[in-house]
Amino acid sequence: MSATSATPGGTVGWARRVAGHTLFWPTAALVVLLVACAVASPGFLDVTVRDGALVGQPIDLLRNAVTPLLLALGMCLVIATGGIDLSVGAVMAISLAVSLTYLDRAADPSAPATVATAVVLGLVLGVAVGAFNGALVTLLGVQPFIATMILMVAGRGIAMLITKGQITTVTSPPFKALGAGSVLGLPQAVVIGAVVFALVALVVRRSALGVLLEAIGVNRESARLSGVRARSTTWTVYVLAGVLAALAGIIYGAPTMAADANNIGLFFELNAIVVVVLGGTKLDGGRFYLSGLVVGALLLTTIERAVIIFQLPSTTTNLFKAAVLIALCIAASPRARGWLASRRTASSGPRRPEAASAAQPAAQPVSRPSSNVKEVGA
Amino acid sequence: MRLRRLDARYLPVAGTLVTLVALLAVGQARYSTPRQGFISMKLLSNLLIDNSFLLVLAVGMTFVILAGGIDLSVGAVVALVGLVVAQLFIAGWPAPVVLVVGVLVGTTCGAIIGVLVQFFDVQPFIASLAVLFLARGAATVIGTRSLPIDDPTFSALASWSLRFGEGRTSWRINASILIALGVLALAYLVLHHTRFGRTVYGLGAADRGNAVNLMGLRADRTRVWVYVISGTCAGVAGLLFALYTKSGYNLTGVGMELDAIAAVVIGGTLLTGGYGYVLGTGAGVLVYGLIQVLNSREGLESWWTRVAIGSVLLAFVILQRVIAVRRRPAVRPAEKQAPAPVPAA
Repeated sequence: MSATSATPGGTVGWARRVAGHTLFWPTAALVVLLVACAVASPGFLDVTVRDGALVGQPIDLLRNAVTPLLLALGMCLVIATGGIDLSVGAVMAISLAVSLTYLDRAADPSAPATVATAVVLGLVLGVAVGAFNGALVTLLGVQPFIATMILMVAGRGIAMLITKGQITTVTSPPFKALGAGSVLGLPQAVVIGAVVFALVALVVRRSALGVLLEAIGVNRESARLSGVRARSTTWTVYVLAGVLAALAGIIYGAPTMAADANNIGLFFELNAIVVVVLGGTKLDGGRFYLSGLVVGALLLTTIERAVIIFQLPSTTTNLFKAAVLIALCIAASPRARGWLASRRTASSGPRRPEAASAAQPAAQPVSRPSSNVKEVGA
Repeated sequence: MRLRRLDARYLPVAGTLVTLVALLAVGQARYSTPRQGFISMKLLSNLLIDNSFLLVLAVGMTFVILAGGIDLSVGAVVALVGLVVAQLFIAGWPAPVVLVVGVLVGTTCGAIIGVLVQFFDVQPFIASLAVLFLARGAATVIGTRSLPIDDPTFSALASWSLRFGEGRTSWRINASILIALGVLALAYLVLHHTRFGRTVYGLGAADRGNAVNLMGLRADRTRVWVYVISGTCAGVAGLLFALYTKSGYNLTGVGMELDAIAAVVIGGTLLTGGYGYVLGTGAGVLVYGLIQVLNSREGLESWWTRVAIGSVLLAFVILQRVIAVRRRPAVRPAEKQAPAPVPAA
């Protein structure tokens, strides 16, 4: 919640109050949803100990939140620089394909050294893919969504080439444990996710990197002119997003140990973007909130679970996610803020009766000319 | 100097034609038999039949990209339209109504993107990505199995064709080809011979349509319209795809948006908007189709096509950047001097 207080406010009091609650609504939504689930399905919030490991729906939610969290972590940093990475789902498929194909061909798939090599290979592939995306974006100046879309689509073809069009399945208990095992009672995946998140957050927030990213996102050219190495920094972020997506792929696919190039991570780029937006980060770049990602990832996972608990067909999940994304985008738009502003000034006791009506036309011009929305952070 | 400026403008289209000729040459060299050449009317008609839906999609996409936007939703819309059409036929609706409703589904999807982009300032790729998932989600709700379409009117439309020539050299024109070429011709007229068309180019050319507004053209309306056009084209393409496969399935068209964007970019339209020719898009679709044909003639697995399309798109995107970079110094000389001292700091 530390991001809440750090949120920059506007020049007016109401703006500061609205923006100050960056995490208020996501957290409230999460709590309401959890309570609703607990009411609909008694015992939803119970956690028990079985064989030295914690078991229960909340633990499941945590476990399922790891993949979107890792994807969103990379996505958030990329979005902070004003870009987007649509390739994360395909990268998941590629890294899993590489890791499992290596394990499949190894003499002893259960040997720790072999598993370590397999994981490293998958991650190295993530680096390569991220470097490719970053090169297109920074060296050639291709729009990020086109640059990353090439791999979003071609990437699955590449994963198919690696697995030769088959669903590669292997048996390797240590590899499986990456996604399904537990450490100190917690799922191993959750521990990995938490450690990685803490590491990235530490590096980004305890060094100047975070500020540089925001500077690049607000205005690349002015950042570059003030001495920010915009090009190499942006590139680094794409590489990081690639590695995190690769790790997410390995953790996601480890429990089943089956590399299904066509379906692993399909449409997961939406999950990542929704988590980023749920966490209070605007898609225009410039400002980002890492703590929001945790809330966002948990909220997304809870939505997925709630769909099942409320006995809606699970096929509606994507529909819900898309609706949430659209609603959040609309809510974040200058026009909606304008409407909100006029209503707030009207309800919070206008000094004069005409203040309410005066606020309406005043709010309109904000949304029109400066449609790049950079004025929000100013 | 004058020659070079001409070069820059036509270079992307020249690249398209070179690629097209190269692919045809490869095909002619490798797959011609003494009795029949690779290049023939049959090849052309097959290319058009197999890719008519893509041509319609790409024409719609050309409008959006020319206006400086993007539409990632088209593949999902094709799937949604296919399933809606299949489901309505199963429900026993008459064919004309079903076809109109199918197209309108696409129009609605496009309108949602347009409204999000124009009125709520959502970036086009996010708005269209959201609609991608909306359409894909709706399609999944309608059904996760492939639904066959066996309506007699629809089947008759699908199998209708005009035959020309005899035996090995015979070729044909079917309803899909006519519709696709009709859409292409209409788009050519609209883009190059109407005020609306000029507004589309103006929107993509510079400063988010402010110049267009100053000229008294309606930038805001036009920006919504290009997405409506793209969505409608996706609706028509969905019908053509349903005619082609005679079924609806929720996972059709995954990645079709890349194919459409690739066809537009290969056809010489600049991704940044403002420059391009819709007829080039037609050539781009032929390049895409030829890659597929060569791929299957080589006996390669179908996923190679995906990789090949990605590579060709990459090549053309790089070509575009090279052209753009070469053009830029003349416009903004100050920018070139700045980088040198900065990295040292």
